[in-house]
Order: sequence, then structure tokens, then C-alpha cells
Amino acid sequence: MARRERTSVPPPGGAGPSPGHHPRPDAWGKVLGRTRYVGDLSLPGMLHAALVVSPVASARLRSLQLAAARSVPDVVAVLTAADIPGANSVGVIFPDQPLLAVDRVRMVGERLALVAARSPEAAAAAVRAVQVQLEPLPAVHDPVAALAPGAPLVHEGGNLIRTFHVVRGDVARQESRATVVFEGEYRIGGQEHAYLEPQGCLVVPEGRQRCTVYASCQCPFYVQQAVARVLGLPLAAVRVIQTPTGGGFGGKEDYPSEPAACAALLAWHTGSPVRLLYPRELDMQLSSKRHAMVVRHRWGADGKGRLRFAEVETFMDAGAYIGLSTVVAERANVSAIGPYHVPAVRVRTHVVYTNNLFGGAFRGFGAPQVTFAGEATMDALARRLGLDPVEFRRRNVLDDRRRTTCTGTKLPRPVLARQCLERAVEAAARTTPTPPGRGHAVGTGVGLVLYGCNLHHGGQRLDRSSAVVLLQGDGSVVVRVGLTEMGQGLLAAVQAVAAQALGVPPQAVEVCLPDTSTVADSGPTVASRGALVAGRAVLDAVRRLRRRFDPVAAQLLGCGPRQVELAGGYARVRGEPARAVPIAEVAAEMAARRIEPIATGWYRSRPRRFDAATGQGGAYDFYATACHVAQVVVDAELGLVRVVRVVAVHDVGRVLHRPALEGQIHGGIVQGMGWAVTERLAVAQGRLENPSFTDYLIPTASDAPLVEIEAIEAAGGHGPWGSKGIGEPSLIPTAAAVRNAVCDALGIELFELPLSPPALVAAQGRRHPFAWLLDRSAERDGPAQAPAAPSPVEAG
Amino acid sequence: MDLPIRRLLRPRDPQEAVELLARHPGALPVAGGTDLVVQLRRGKLAADTLVDLGGLGLAGIAEGAEGLEIGAATTMDTIAADARVRAGWPALAQAASQVGAWPIQCRATLGGNLANASPAADTAPPLLIADARLRLLSCRGSRTVPAAEFFAGPGRTVRAPDEIILSVLLPPRRLGPHATAHERFAKVGPRREQIISVVSLAARIVVQSDGSVGEVALAVGSVAPTPRRARRAEEVLEGCRLTGAVRREAVAALEEELAPIDDVRAPAWYRRVAAAVLLDRFLAEVAGG
Amino acid sequence: MAEGVRVRLRLNGEDREFWVPPGRRLLDLVREDAGLTGTKEGCGAGECGACTVLLNGRPVTSCLVLAASCDGAEVVTVEGLAAATGEPHPVQRAFVEAGGVQCGFCTPGVAVSGAAIVARGVRDAAERARLLSGNLCRCTGYLAVLEALERAGEASDGEA
Repeated sequence: MARRERTSVPPPGGAGPSPGHHPRPDAWGKVLGRTRYVGDLSLPGMLHAALVVSPVASARLRSLQLAAARSVPDVVAVLTAADIPGANSVGVIFPDQPLLAVDRVRMVGERLALVAARSPEAAAAAVRAVQVQLEPLPAVHDPVAALAPGAPLVHEGGNLIRTFHVVRGDVARQESRATVVFEGEYRIGGQEHAYLEPQGCLVVPEGRQRCTVYASCQCPFYVQQAVARVLGLPLAAVRVIQTPTGGGFGGKEDYPSEPAACAALLAWHTGSPVRLLYPRELDMQLSSKRHAMVVRHRWGADGKGRLRFAEVETFMDAGAYIGLSTVVAERANVSAIGPYHVPAVRVRTHVVYTNNLFGGAFRGFGAPQVTFAGEATMDALARRLGLDPVEFRRRNVLDDRRRTTCTGTKLPRPVLARQCLERAVEAAARTTPTPPGRGHAVGTGVGLVLYGCNLHHGGQRLDRSSAVVLLQGDGSVVVRVGLTEMGQGLLAAVQAVAAQALGVPPQAVEVCLPDTSTVADSGPTVASRGALVAGRAVLDAVRRLRRRFDPVAAQLLGCGPRQVELAGGYARVRGEPARAVPIAEVAAEMAARRIEPIATGWYRSRPRRFDAATGQGGAYDFYATACHVAQVVVDAELGLVRVVRVVAVHDVGRVLHRPALEGQIHGGIVQGMGWAVTERLAVAQGRLENPSFTDYLIPTASDAPLVEIEAIEAAGGHGPWGSKGIGEPSLIPTAAAVRNAVCDALGIELFELPLSPPALVAAQGRRHPFAWLLDRSAERDGPAQAPAAPSPVEAG
Repeated sequence: MDLPIRRLLRPRDPQEAVELLARHPGALPVAGGTDLVVQLRRGKLAADTLVDLGGLGLAGIAEGAEGLEIGAATTMDTIAADARVRAGWPALAQAASQVGAWPIQCRATLGGNLANASPAADTAPPLLIADARLRLLSCRGSRTVPAAEFFAGPGRTVRAPDEIILSVLLPPRRLGPHATAHERFAKVGPRREQIISVVSLAARIVVQSDGSVGEVALAVGSVAPTPRRARRAEEVLEGCRLTGAVRREAVAALEEELAPIDDVRAPAWYRRVAAAVLLDRFLAEVAGG
Repeated sequence: MAEGVRVRLRLNGEDREFWVPPGRRLLDLVREDAGLTGTKEGCGAGECGACTVLLNGRPVTSCLVLAASCDGAEVVTVEGLAAATGEPHPVQRAFVEAGGVQCGFCTPGVAVSGAAIVARGVRDAAERARLLSGNLCRCTGYLAVLEALERAGEASDGEA
């Protein structure tokens, strides 16, 4: 049964801060039902927005008949592209995506028109009343086929958006030393974020000069830019306030800019507040997804079980617009080899337009797919070498001796990949599941990850962070940051950092959700960077505040400013803890003397060099490693996978807030498990056929495995006190570990995700006890009845 | 958002309910609403008027001369928890505890699960193997329909639009001396809970003291346009001892009488395999025990 | 125009009367008419459980319940779980202490179902998980939530 277990390796020498473990500041409001999400906000005269979208994936937009929709009672506005005052463009990086279609439809769900009405019912009626004439055009639904000559073009200029490379070493030379070469093609499905709160925003206009946007989002600065661009307003005229956000996982990185721009356009035209809440089905069809990918491998190892070369070619299905796909591709590209020493590497990562679902950011950002492939290939090579998969990894994993990544980066010591592997394997071996009955098998699988923390070199310009620290006259503290809380625990972590730095109890610190009018653009809350970069900016602000605080405290204490230390709610003389004055008293004294009690802070990562042509250089600022070992029970006859236990060992640098860290790991593992096992995006002609929780199956409480966490604290990160990101490493290796465990259980190799029951049954081929039954039905009804499954590969 | 209906009528007894249904052509009866509301919201069904069957006193389970009578408005969690159902019709109790999730089970009714006539309706196969009968009422009077004749196709039944289900009758079961009854409901879906059946099987076998099969009843869901009995497999098993060969023959017979489709939940061939596995496991369990 | 329907409820311990359109869902009555926005809409199809409330003491997904069919019923929402003194429900306290709250959008529904599970006195962990499986959560992986339910159950056993 689901249970939590934890162990922790204490920091060496006991140095560093004590990790926070206080209740999250947002917990009580949420559990009492008092937290106001955007759907809980309404204003007098507020209008309800709805979208008219395309039901087909590729078409010419012939006409939109709007008169009937406009005459629906209580409908206030029906708008099209012609009504946009600024730029009809919402692409976060490339201007390839219109807010509203002009003449061409490239995806199911492409926006055609917008409606605002006095009730949601009227808005829905108006949407139904819009008559759309679409002339179907050829479409392409496979990223490999999209690159073939003659494939239908999604945009003029070709379907290949870009190819990224890693070029390292001499493949031909290394191949000559390889005794075993594995070639395989992995077909990896996408994933829906399934945040519980659908996309939503509320825009309050002030004439046509300015507006305030309340949005459920990860990146208020992206929303601000999109709204300003569409309305033709200066950034300063668009104020974005993040509302409590019910889950993001990447799905609220760039995407919320689109609904926000829609609502803002309606608000601009009507002069009324406009709220847009996506119904779940629409959300699942329209919003971005984890990219479906085809990954081709050719990897070789020598007789001693050492990797000699690795060739990877990846086709990423971007959908009809680039969005963040090129950025996702950058991470996928350099993550393709994992934490292994490989003398010669060639990686090509193609980003391809199709008329499918919109590919975008999702926890792990391209790394989970290539990690799945990489770890599967590691197992495949191990089998072919006759080695245990763990032993094969031992011979190739990066450590303090061999520590150069595929991008040529020499990792700083300690390199903990080997420790993560050994500790996870050791912990996992303490118990093994027993098969519960006939037709069941058990298996164990390993997944390792080398995670580049913070933004890739390509996004380096966004790797910055702003903070404001305001000391109140009573010693309580307001902290403002530019990074968002979406459930992951940023508020708790920042609160812990600020409290530690100021020597006050965490409860004395109020951390606010971002408001673009109060902090500088801090880039996106992504890449597991939130707590790290927000925390660093807060530390900087505290440092600046103390330039004014410490002299006042020193006067009250009768010591020098440099002797002042802050702890336990007091300013005290270093080395003489009895000489202390409450921080509240110092704050009151500052107020009395009219000394400025507010300070700003700033953080930016160190500049690095990276050669995009070869993929060599400083791809990331610093790195974390993790190892997951999954134990599964597989009902082989029915093809059902039950993940019973996952051991997760993470190199986290430092723990900033223990419950938040554990919550991230638990959630990441279960989300990664869902992607591996039950979460299948059924896409037909670009349309999602299962846009509901009825048929898109995320794990329930009954699916939760036992999770054991070990957090290694050896600093080494650039977050506060050496901390490293945890949001994404917690998910990246899980699916690979689960897949390897299922293959171990069944003695077969699997090349597709998810590991659906039909796929598992088909992969057993003749070995399935009821294969004879399908032969009978094929004989009777013809071969159409037989499974259309890939030919299974027997384990060697 | 409000559902697109104009009228919700709340009759106080069954007679008033059927009169209202007769008076408002196109009106739909609604009980728990766990399926109907979804269909109305998605536009798969449309109705001007709903007639709420929640206030008719049709919830409850009673024992009588004709057997156990379960009111149509009885909810799934009540059925799953009822000691008489659990003892006498365990497959039905097991099925009721697997309809949706708990908050659905607290609202969804037996009558609704049958009236919706989903091929995947979890309570249908257990009722089929129980030879259950449905009591229906309309302005034209009441009638009784065997469960096996109730379903007409996906979403279709023999219930007239102005007719309501009053109750489901489970005839008493008598077990001879030295006979052992085995009964089980099992369903297959990719997830452990809250899943629409990809295949379901309700099975009951009474083993005689000599080890042969005395009675057998098998019913499957999600493998044909309606939930249905697997008569051919039953015929194979009747009177036989459950040897490996007999089991294989029964599984083969079952496979022949399935008519599954490919849909977003599973391909047809997988449903065939899964149904075979469920039956074979049940038979192995019976043979072993 | 649609006819208005009278709905009398005992809502969080208070007798209330509402006039609503016939197609109003209990979810919307609670949120819009009663102004109790703690109950959330996550899917509108009874699949996610964010809208779970207690209807006559049993958890239901209020997005699938017609408000008018509840006339005369007792309804408890997340706002009504706390004791009359304002003391939070043991399940709510356990969620905070065990770290069972992340993004919080599923939390009101989880708390309501959780309170019902604890009230049932379910001692088996697998059965608790089964009863909670109608409340989807995407953040916590359920582990801290299930631990909280166990703690709250133990606490209420101790009181009994």
C-alpha cells in the first residue's frame, strides 16, 4: 500500500541552514476552501468569454457568419482577427501563431472568433450560432512523414523547424572498437498536464489605455508581453497579477498567454471585465502537451561493457505552431545521452511541424522522452552483453573520475550519479514484491538522469530574478518575487530562505504571488528554477537591506555593524548571544528614524559559452543527478502494470523545505508513472478523441506506489546554500525505470509509450497464453482482427 | 453552467411520474443523473423537460416471496454494502462497488445504470446471471421484463419513453446439499479504480458434490452492443468437470459469441483476449477451490 | 424563460432557500447562489472530484447533481467541515501537517471525501485509497494525502 518513507544524508559537517519544515503558508487557505482562484473571482458587469474553434486540423477559412451569434440575447461582442488593435500574434518566441485565424486553419482548436456575453450560457449559445465555412486542406499527422518530400506543408517554408546537434568524438573510430551495437526506434506518446484547475483568466480594462490581468499562470511576464502585443499597449500599461494557480507542470508556462490575450481583446472592445474559463474538454484539446517523439538509436559498447559511441536522431512533433518547441528541443538534444561517459556522440534533434496537438512545455521539457529511450537502450545493450543492467550502468556512469558530459562540460565534484545509482539499487533490493497470482510477473527497472539545472544556454537571457523585501515596523516581513507558486511549494521555500536570512520565524514572512507592477521581469517559473532563483534574489535583497538595518541594530546593541547577526527573531552580537534585541525593536527604530525599510534584490546566472552547431559548451549552469528504481507487478495475461514501489535517490544540493521537496518527488513519480502506463493521448486526424478524465487516465489514489526518498545533500547547486532544482528530476527517470521493470518482468523489450495493456499483450506474441485464441479469430474473421502490434523482440 | 433544460418536474409517486412523462413527450426521466447530466452537458442528449425520479420512494432493498427486490433509485454504495446482496448475489455487490468512484456510487442508481444501456454497464452482467427481472411502469400499467430482454442496443432498451423502472427483482437461489456456489464479477481496465470497463464478466458456477458443474451462468459486458449472457460457453461447461480441456473449450466458445468493437478504450482483439482471461481465471479458481 | 425552482437546503448547518433555474447544478448553486467558492469545478463530468460535497452525509460530485432535485436535503461543503466553534476538521488539520496540500485545487473535494472516509472509520489503507480514487490530484501523488487520512483516522479513533 501507498506509504511514504524517507531517509536523508545529512550535510557534511552540519554546515548550512536547517531545512524548513513549517506548514506551507498557503495550506490553510486551501484546505479550508478560502483561497480564491480566478474562477472564484467575479466583478459587477463581468462578461463571460467563449471561443469559436476549428473542428478540423487543416483547412482554408472561407467565411465566418457572425450575425446569428451577435443576435443571441445577452451577447455583447463577437470578435474576429479584424478586431485586433495590435499584432495578431501570440507565439512566445516565433511569430508563427495568430491569436485568431485569418485565412488558414492548422490545428483542431485553432481559434476563429471570440464571444463575450453576460452569462456563460449565452456565450455558449453564441458559439454554437457562429457559422463557419472551412475548406479542408491536406494535413500531416506524423513528424517523420512530415519531412518526406511532397508532404503537406503546415506553413510555407517547410515542415522542418530546426535541427539541433551534439557532435563529440569520432564515431567511426569508436564504432570499430564496439563489439555490440544496438539499433532501435522508440515511439513515445505525448502527455496531458491534467492540472486540476483548467486555464482561466480575468481581465479588467480601464478604458483602452490599460488593463489588469488576473491569470492562472506560471509566467506572468509572458502573459504581460502577449497582452501588450495584441492590444498594442506598452508593457507598463498591462499589469498581470498571478492568481493562486491550481497546477501547472509546464502547461501554464506559455499557454496562458493565449486565453489572456483573448479575454483582453474582448475587455478592450467591451470596456467590461471579461473572464475566460476553459471547460475541461476544450482545455485538453487546445492547450500544449508533452511532445510525442520518435527517437532512433544506434549505440555501441565494447567487450568490457563500456559505451563507445551513441547516435541519436529524434523527431519532435511540435504541432502546428512552434510555441516553446525549439526550447524543449534544446533540452532534449543535450539530455539524450544521460549521465554516461561516451567517447563519441552524434545527436540530431529535429523539430517538426504537423497538424497534431500543440507540443509544448511539460515537466522535464523533452528530457523524459530521450531519457526513456536512453535508459531502454542501456538495458538493451546490457542484455546483449550478458551483463546485469545495473552492472552495465556502473561501468559507464559519470563519477568524480570520468565527469565530462556529452556537451563537453566537466562536472564539478562531487559527481553523484554513481552514488545515486548504488544507493537506490541497494535500497530497492531490501524488499522485492511477490507475484500475487497466476499470470503475474514481477520486475525491477532502473532509470538515471543527469539534469541540467535552470535554463539552457539558449534561454540564458531569461535566467534572472527580481525580489523585494520590505521590513514592517513590527518586524514582520513582506517578500515579493517574480516567480510563481503553482503548487510546487515556492512560497514555502522562499519563506524559509527569507526567514533564515533575516533570523525571523517563517510565519513572520509573507510571500506574495507575483504582480508585474512590483517586481522586474524574472523570466519564467520553469526548469526547476523557481525556488532557487527567487531565493537567490531574496538573499540579495536581504543583503542590501542589512546595509541599513545592521547599523541601527548595532547602535541598539552597542556593537559594531559587522558584529550583528540575526537569529531566532533577534539581532544579536556575534559570539555573545545574550546581547540581543528583538528584530521588531530594530524595525520600529528604523521606522522612527525614517530609514528606508525596503530593498530590492537581483539574481542572474553566470554567462556561459555554448556552440549550437556542435552542442558543445556550457549548456547549463549546474547539474543534478537522480536515480529511480521501480518495482512492478505485471498482469502478463491482461497486460496490466502495477507500480508497487519506487526508490528515488536525488542529489538535491540542499533541502530548502522538506515537505515541499518530498511533495515534488512524490508528485513527479506518480505523474511519470501515469505517462508510462495509462496516459494515452488518442489523436486521430489531429483531434483528441479522449479529452476527458473518463478516458484520459491519470493515476488515482489506488495507483500510488510506495515511494522511498533519499535526498543527498552535498551542496554544489547555485540555489540558496547550494540547493539544486527538484521539480523536473523527480519525474524524468520514472517512466524509464517503469518500462525497464516491465521488460524485466515479461522478458521482452518494449519500444512504445505508454505501456498500454494491448501493447503489452501484443508484445508477448506467441508467448501469450491466449495467442491461440487470436489465431482462431483471425482464421475465422480475417487478419483484420489480429493485433496491429509491432513485432516483439525476444530478449536475448 | 446551467444545463440547457427548461423544466424539472418533481413527482411524488410513480404514478404521477409516468403521467408527467406521458404528458411531456420528449421529457427524460432522471434519477442520480451521473450519466444523464454528462450527456446533456455534452449535447449528446437534449431535453426540454426532466422528470426527477428521486422523490418517488423507489430507493431501498426488500426481501419478498419473489426474491430480493431492489428499488430502481437505490444507489450503488447502498447495494454494495447490503448484507443480503453480498451474501446472495456477490457479483452484483462487487459490480456496484466498481461503478465510477465512490462519490458516483453514492449518487448513481441501479435503475439509471440499466436505463442508460451502456454496453459497459457494470451492474448488467450480474443481473443477467441472476435471471433478474425489471418491473416497469407506465400509464398503460406495469409489466415485468427479464433483464436478458431489456437491452436493445447501445443506449437503447425496451423501456418506452414514458415508462420508468420501478425495481429489479432477484429470484431466490436455492443451493442443493453438498453443492458449492462460486460467483464473481471482474472487470478489466487500464487503471485500478474509476474506470469504464473494457471487458467485464459476471460468472456463477455451482459445483456438485461429484465435482461437476451443476449450474452455470456467464455474462459479459463491453464486448457486444449490449451486455449479454454467454450461452455457448455455458453449454460447454454444463455438467462437465473443469479440466484444462474443458476450460479451453469454454474459452473458445466464449470467444465465438463476442462481437466487440475497436474504440478509444481498447481494440476489439484485446477485448477478446481479456474476456478469455477473465473466464479462464474464474474457471481455474473454481476448479482449484 | 425557464421557470424558477425553489430549493430549500440545510447548507453547512444553516437553513437556506434559493430560487434557481431548473438546469442549475448543485455546484453552481453552492458557488454562485450561495457564494461558497471553496467547491471547485475541475471537469464538469464527475470524474475529478474537485466539486465533491456531502449530500445527506454522503459524498457526491456536485457538478452532476441538479440543484432542484436536492430540495429538502442537507449539504455540507468544504466551508462547512469545520466545527461550529471554527475549529478545523481533523482531516483539514492532518492535510496541513502531513503536507497533503500543494496546488490546492483538488483539496476542498479531497477534504470532503476525506472527512467522509474518516467518518466511516475505514481502517484498511487500500480501502481508504479506493474510496479516495474519485478525487484526482495531480500534485501530491496522493502519498501525503493518504498519510493525512491515516493520521486523522487515528486521531478520531482516539477520541471515540
